[in-house]
Amino acid sequence: MNKKSMRTLLVLSAIAMALIISPAAVSYPTGIQGVKDSGCNCHGATTSSEVVPSITGLPDQYNYSESYEIVVSFVGGPASPTNSNQGGFNLWVSDGELLPSDATVQSYNPNEVSHTEAGNDQTSWTLTWTSPSSDRNVEFILHTNSVNGNADGANGGSSGDMWNKLTAKVSPPVLVLEEADPFVVLSTLILVSAILLAFTLAYVFYRTNPESFTWDYFAPWIAGWLTTTDHKKVGTLYFVAGLFFLGVGGIMAMMIRIQLAVPGNDFLTQDQYNQFFTLHGTTMIFLAAMPLINGFANWMVPLQIGAPDLALPRLNAMSFWLQPVGALLIFTGVFSGQGADTGWTGYAPYVVSETAHMGTTMWVAGQIMLVASSTLTGINFLTTIAVMRAPGMGWLQMPLFTWSILVANLMLFLSIPAFGIGLIQVYLDRVIGTAFYDVSAGGDPLLWSHLFWYFGHPEVYVVIVPAFGVISEVIATSARRSIFGYRSMVYAMAGIGVVSFIVYGHHMFTSGMSPTLRFVTMLTTMLVAVPTGIKIFNWLKTMHGGSLVYRTHTLWTLGFLVTFTLGGISGMFFPSIAMDLHLHESYFVVAHFHYVLVGGTVFGFYAAIYYWFPKMSGRMLDEKLGVLHFLVGFISYNALFWPMHRLGVWGMARRHHTYFVTTEEAMGALPIEAAGWNMFISVSAFIFFFSNLIMVANMIKTLIRGEKAPPDPWGGWSFEWMTESPPPTPSFDPHNLPVLTDANEHIANEPGTLSKLFNRLMVSEEDTEEVTH
Amino acid sequence: MISFFVSVFTFTWLYHHSFWYRSEDADGYKNPDEIAVGVFPKHNDDMRLEVAWTIAPFILIVWLTYVSWVPLDAVWSETGEDGYHGEECEEGQSSNNRLDDYGIVTSECYHVIEITAKQWVWAFDCLDLPTEICDTGSDNIEVYGTVPLLSLKTGETYLANMRSEDVTHAPWFLGMGVKEDTLYGAQIGPSEYNWPTTVWLPISSVVDDQIILCTEYCGDAHSVMAGKLVVHQ
Repeated sequence: MNKKSMRTLLVLSAIAMALIISPAAVSYPTGIQGVKDSGCNCHGATTSSEVVPSITGLPDQYNYSESYEIVVSFVGGPASPTNSNQGGFNLWVSDGELLPSDATVQSYNPNEVSHTEAGNDQTSWTLTWTSPSSDRNVEFILHTNSVNGNADGANGGSSGDMWNKLTAKVSPPVLVLEEADPFVVLSTLILVSAILLAFTLAYVFYRTNPESFTWDYFAPWIAGWLTTTDHKKVGTLYFVAGLFFLGVGGIMAMMIRIQLAVPGNDFLTQDQYNQFFTLHGTTMIFLAAMPLINGFANWMVPLQIGAPDLALPRLNAMSFWLQPVGALLIFTGVFSGQGADTGWTGYAPYVVSETAHMGTTMWVAGQIMLVASSTLTGINFLTTIAVMRAPGMGWLQMPLFTWSILVANLMLFLSIPAFGIGLIQVYLDRVIGTAFYDVSAGGDPLLWSHLFWYFGHPEVYVVIVPAFGVISEVIATSARRSIFGYRSMVYAMAGIGVVSFIVYGHHMFTSGMSPTLRFVTMLTTMLVAVPTGIKIFNWLKTMHGGSLVYRTHTLWTLGFLVTFTLGGISGMFFPSIAMDLHLHESYFVVAHFHYVLVGGTVFGFYAAIYYWFPKMSGRMLDEKLGVLHFLVGFISYNALFWPMHRLGVWGMARRHHTYFVTTEEAMGALPIEAAGWNMFISVSAFIFFFSNLIMVANMIKTLIRGEKAPPDPWGGWSFEWMTESPPPTPSFDPHNLPVLTDANEHIANEPGTLSKLFNRLMVSEEDTEEVTH
Repeated sequence: MISFFVSVFTFTWLYHHSFWYRSEDADGYKNPDEIAVGVFPKHNDDMRLEVAWTIAPFILIVWLTYVSWVPLDAVWSETGEDGYHGEECEEGQSSNNRLDDYGIVTSECYHVIEITAKQWVWAFDCLDLPTEICDTGSDNIEVYGTVPLLSLKTGETYLANMRSEDVTHAPWFLGMGVKEDTLYGAQIGPSEYNWPTTVWLPISSVVDDQIILCTEYCGDAHSVMAGKLVVHQ
């Protein structure tokens, strides 16, 4: 490495380090915010050993549903020669119910009591704890504060204010294992996944050449991957990263579903739940869906258009390597117990408020890196598709997957700057105290909603349009037909791209928007159904007169048509504003966007994996395992998300860490049936999660001893099927590029009456003459 | 109903084609589109069909938009003569709610109340309204603990002016199916109080006691930021 490169590397490292450490992270005494964990911050930020809290009356082992009178008290505090110490307390219990015994104590909820105003000058308080009716390890957390006893300020007043914390544990009649902290579970699962991934990589290396399984060979092999600019290798890196984070996001989803399996569950605290759903959304959208799209796009776009590589290979590698760094920043807060807790939408002013976790700053910084990555990727693909198409390939002769990547990147390119600006504003507000979203200084919180949704709604189409491209390729190849209405498919994709920019207002129907604008947005939102409908009908018509050969990718494509249609139909309820007023922020919304993003995007990816894996790896996936994956996955997926529509209509709100059902004893927000449906959903979620391991196992098995794949195993027409499986590097000889011919050039094409009419309207006389000649 | 018919149409078509055109192997297939590697295949299109399923959904969504127009007006009705709920009631005047031909509650006048949100509690204010029209207090809901209570009268319509003292919240009146954000700092015109958002609460005979939840994520205790609406005669 020469000196110049070394200097550049050092400067880049310094910048990266500065980016990582610059946000000032403030730690609470116990890491987590909230009275239960850190005490009331009105009594100072640190504990004092001068105050000694105690709880008396607690048994070592409780009896079921028995009431115990307990006394909480403290001694010590700020010294004063004339006054005794007095103060207040806060007591939290993990299980059972706390009840005040007199007017000095008040209940916030069954798990938390504190002193009243009248009881704020005591040293001990009496209350009742009713033990649980089942076997639980019960934890008590007591905070007491102590002042030197003279509230009016005479004789030293209450100038000294100290507090301390005490934890106590009570065992159940039958001993049970301690519950693990959910963050420990999450971290362990991520670590185990990473180790499994590392082993898999090592095994792939071993299988590549068993005789060279030594460090001397491994180092250059791994260095080759880390420094590669080859579009196929970068695509594989995206693909592996995307699948890894799909697993991480899935693990978080499972923990969310454990929490929601039964009403009033306490597997996750509110604080933890808020972090889990925030990171689940961010991970799935930015760290799983986007990298998977980029993985397929990196692999297939150059191959489909007959190009040796992308136009800007080094930029391509940089785009990828920004992603793991961004991911690290996004997750940094979790490891300090202060992960982002804003939801993936990060609404202002909460996102810049003091109550939002410190990890939010890192989360924003990480997303800024992802914005940079996506922008560079957009430049690269637009350039490549514009200037590197093979001879003979006009715009309207490109494969539809390439068209979908072109449209998606155009949309991203036009929308993501708004998001980037919003993120930078939030970052500056949080770090150096600017006031873009500080209301007291004239900031405007709704600005964030506009900037976010101007990007956020097109982003949904950015991740679904490439799946449209995949489905178009797979359904045509599976039916052994040319895609029905190629040109209308292209126009429909472009139409979706255009309309997506004028519909984002429907996310803000309840934000005080003017009624006139609400009507306009209602109309434009409904308009999306037109190009989407064209695509669905064209896919169905493609099968007409075909010879449908059922493979695993065909099954996932048909599954996509079912789930995406259902997702599209459920989406039509939201522009109808009277419906939206009830359904907004409910589980109906959760069901809808999972039908579109999982049933649409992820099913599209699965079809793509089974369709292109032989091309990428040179090995055929096991069809039996593939069909098993589809059957288990498709059924459990629908069992998982379909009942959520009902829960939303009943009144189950999203982003609530728990819910309560109405029983004979108590009034809740939901009918009692909701409890059963939530359990059913959670069980289905686990089946769906584990069904995906069938696909992973299939990939590993195939890589080890799969049948060798021919260049064109399915009978496709585009250039990727012309190369060997896997393709060489460079993918095509730059001096001998393939030439696309067109089966339509010498075919008499007599248009019908309507076609003639539209040709007359849409094609000028000069163009017609040109074509004729 | 429309969703049902669109689903049945699409899935019947999908089901039929999936099985009718199924093939164990494609050996005997004539390849009408001349699909071959490196050759852009013959166009498989039909202008009439494509235009038909462009225009049909368009007509459908225009009709859906038109149908949704009436409830749009109802949920954000203007105040005054053009609206569904007239002017603010005089002292002692009743809204006398009734259903119009579309099943929408219309009123002779409305009462103004105020809702203020802050992390993580609601505050209801009946202003100068007599307690038989509007009352506030607190109630203990077993699972939520002590929550603020708003008591409104059947047959009366209320316009709630809403604001937030910190971040964005949104009260969801579950039994009435309405919600609206409460915004901190948003301002429409110079005013001593900023009431940027409002929500209509027409209390008809079908409205029952219900829980009010917060549906705009607002931090730690968002999910237990509850209230209770009690309807009295």
